[in-house]
Amino acid sequence: MSGDASRHSRPRRPSRLDLGTVATLVAAGLLLVAAWEIEVPVARLRGAPAQLAGLLRQFLPPDLGYGRQQVLPALLDSLAIAWVGTLIGALLSLPLGLLGARNLFPRLGFPVKSLLAAIRAFPEILLAIYFVPMVGLGPFAGTLAVGLHSVGMLGKLTAEIIESADLRPVEAIRAAGGDATSVLRFGVLPQVFSEVVALWLFRFEINLRASAVLGVVGAGGIGGLMFNTLRYRHFAQTGAVVLATVLVVLAVDSSSGALRQRLTREPLPASDP
Amino acid sequence: MIDFNGARVVYANGACALDGLDLEIAAGEMVVVVGLSGAGKSTLLRAVNGLVPLTSGDLRVAGRSVRQARGRALRLLRAEVGMIFQDFRLVRQLRVLDNVLVGRLARVAAWRSVIGAWPKHDVDLAFDALERVGLLARAYDRASQLSGGQQQRVGIARALAQQPSVILADEPVASLDPVTSKQVMDDLTRINRELGITTLVNLHDLDLATAYGERIVGLRAGKRVFDGPGAGVRAADFDRIYGRSAPSDDRQEARGER
Amino acid sequence: MSNGSSPSRGAHRPLPPRRLRQRWVSTGALAGLIALTAWAGARVGFSLRELLGNLDKLTRLLDDSFPPEWSFWPRLRAPLVETLAIALLATAAGSLVAVPLSLFAARPVAPAAWVYRTARAAMNLLRTMPDLFWAMLFASAVGFGPFAGVMALSVFTAAVVSKLLSESAEAIDPRVLEAVRASGGGWLECVRFAVWPQVAPHFASYALYSLEINVRASTVLGLVGAGGIGMVLRTQLSLFEYDRVVLIILVSFLVVLVIEQISALTRRRLV
Repeated sequence: MSGDASRHSRPRRPSRLDLGTVATLVAAGLLLVAAWEIEVPVARLRGAPAQLAGLLRQFLPPDLGYGRQQVLPALLDSLAIAWVGTLIGALLSLPLGLLGARNLFPRLGFPVKSLLAAIRAFPEILLAIYFVPMVGLGPFAGTLAVGLHSVGMLGKLTAEIIESADLRPVEAIRAAGGDATSVLRFGVLPQVFSEVVALWLFRFEINLRASAVLGVVGAGGIGGLMFNTLRYRHFAQTGAVVLATVLVVLAVDSSSGALRQRLTREPLPASDP
Repeated sequence: MIDFNGARVVYANGACALDGLDLEIAAGEMVVVVGLSGAGKSTLLRAVNGLVPLTSGDLRVAGRSVRQARGRALRLLRAEVGMIFQDFRLVRQLRVLDNVLVGRLARVAAWRSVIGAWPKHDVDLAFDALERVGLLARAYDRASQLSGGQQQRVGIARALAQQPSVILADEPVASLDPVTSKQVMDDLTRINRELGITTLVNLHDLDLATAYGERIVGLRAGKRVFDGPGAGVRAADFDRIYGRSAPSDDRQEARGER
Repeated sequence: MSNGSSPSRGAHRPLPPRRLRQRWVSTGALAGLIALTAWAGARVGFSLRELLGNLDKLTRLLDDSFPPEWSFWPRLRAPLVETLAIALLATAAGSLVAVPLSLFAARPVAPAAWVYRTARAAMNLLRTMPDLFWAMLFASAVGFGPFAGVMALSVFTAAVVSKLLSESAEAIDPRVLEAVRASGGGWLECVRFAVWPQVAPHFASYALYSLEINVRASTVLGLVGAGGIGMVLRTQLSLFEYDRVVLIILVSFLVVLVIEQISALTRRRLV
């Protein structure tokens, strides 16, 4: 092998300063500022996992009696909130998603998507803050908050799904003399249906977590129990809350996940033969 | 150098890829393996560096048993054996130089390679390998910017950087045009002659094989059905390997003369 | 048929496939969904009448809220910075932790089957808890304040990012992995040279996405005592100072919107 002779004919090594490194440096700088701002002492950092573990240990054994009496109904409330909220979001997002699809409505695309982004930027809990005084404490306020917030994400993603659909069948239907409804029913819907429903299922998973939290502001569900049991230091009851939440969310996640997989694999027929 | 002894490979789905293969390859030999798809060519090559484990039988490379190699021993064995693939298998997002340096992984401490602090000796070896395949100037280009033929030559450089005693080439020219194919085969032959590296090449084109094969091994259904110099391949041998008539017959058929 | 011949009478048209069972299943499912909706609607007390009937309350609320008390803004500056700091730190910490976790949770990359199963299980468990639950837990464990918020969101981020990243890692081209292994690379080297180059742009995208989520979450963490602008929100809510509440909401909303746009733009240029 040659060695030294080839050293002179080697190409020049390019500069190390590219966009990626600059971005990383900027990010690191921001992080240092942030850390200084919050004054994260290393001592507290080391102790944190142990403190959390200590707290978690006090959750066992969980108070199952409390679980049956209080937690279960509250969980059912959260499930109901998530279900109705997702439904509201889904129904409202369909027309908005259609309007926001640039391949169907080129001029409406941007304003509609901006509106949806604005809705999305409001966390559900901030919306609930206004719904609670309006319709009273309880799950109805939570449902409205979840429903309204969901429209944002569902609308945007529905529009994107429609935008990625193949438009050639739409042309064909229009050429054959079909009106707008036919175009929707036969040209757009069959392609996007399963993807959109899968999207709704995914949103349901997220909404379940959101609705679990809303109880903190009095909008129903299990969040209130979590908050109060911790505040009054009834840790065994908190254990029941956490255990029940984890189990229910796991169950919903896996069944929803399985359904979603089946949906995105097999295209659904446009109609029965 | 490479010693197959009653080697059998049966895959999980029951397919028998190698069926009691006996094969001896001496150091410095260049052997071309031919056969139908599914005859066991790929499996034979992959058995040599342990990518495909033997179900039964024995296989020795440089005197060491492949079946018993595990962990660090297996990695060192693989460092001795360079492999070239039909689809080049470069890391497209990395630079050409980094791709060649992959060949030094087994000999460089993990922390060094991971953070990119390669020892000078290994960097020199990588550059030398690139020079040998004539791609020194492209060292800092992204691998995806190279043509197919160039990527394959980087693949060869990667194998060379390992300073191997054996090079395995699994259909190295199947994705290349005839001109580039000849270049790559010439490179492999030159490396075999100048550096004395034992070379095992899979080819599906028998014409190419006879042109380059000092020694041709024909496989069929996992068994060795031919073993001899390329010049000595007769029509009957072709029939034994591929189960049908010679290539010239195909051409005559295409011309409508048969 | 334009040539006037009658449709084939003698020939047999093919029968439609026997979908009777599928019909029953889908009708049953539909009926089930309707029943579920009816039950859920009743349970939450869904009432269009109530919603529309209370619009006057909403108008009164909005009246109280607007105009916002702009002079309250100086008291929001520091909490806002704290909110952003929480989000930044949590995103960084969580994303870093997510890297090894997601690699172990990807079948082609995991060094052993049991590692894969354990990592998957851990990931799924972590993902079940909502961010505010973590916030409540950490606030109880390490005390109120932004530190709890950072810890809580870090765990949450790790869960979110590792799920996304593990899916990317499972979709890598396994052939490149085989090539690096054939050159003698061990697990760490295979990850560094065969897996990471393929998933790195995805990772950056997921980190930015979780930054968006975290900024949104950190504005409300204070409601449960985990620092940031939410703590001011809680106080003002309890005082029914709606013109300040709306200011806080507007400010949070703007910050979230800005970060989202920046993040979306950057992410688009990444992948």
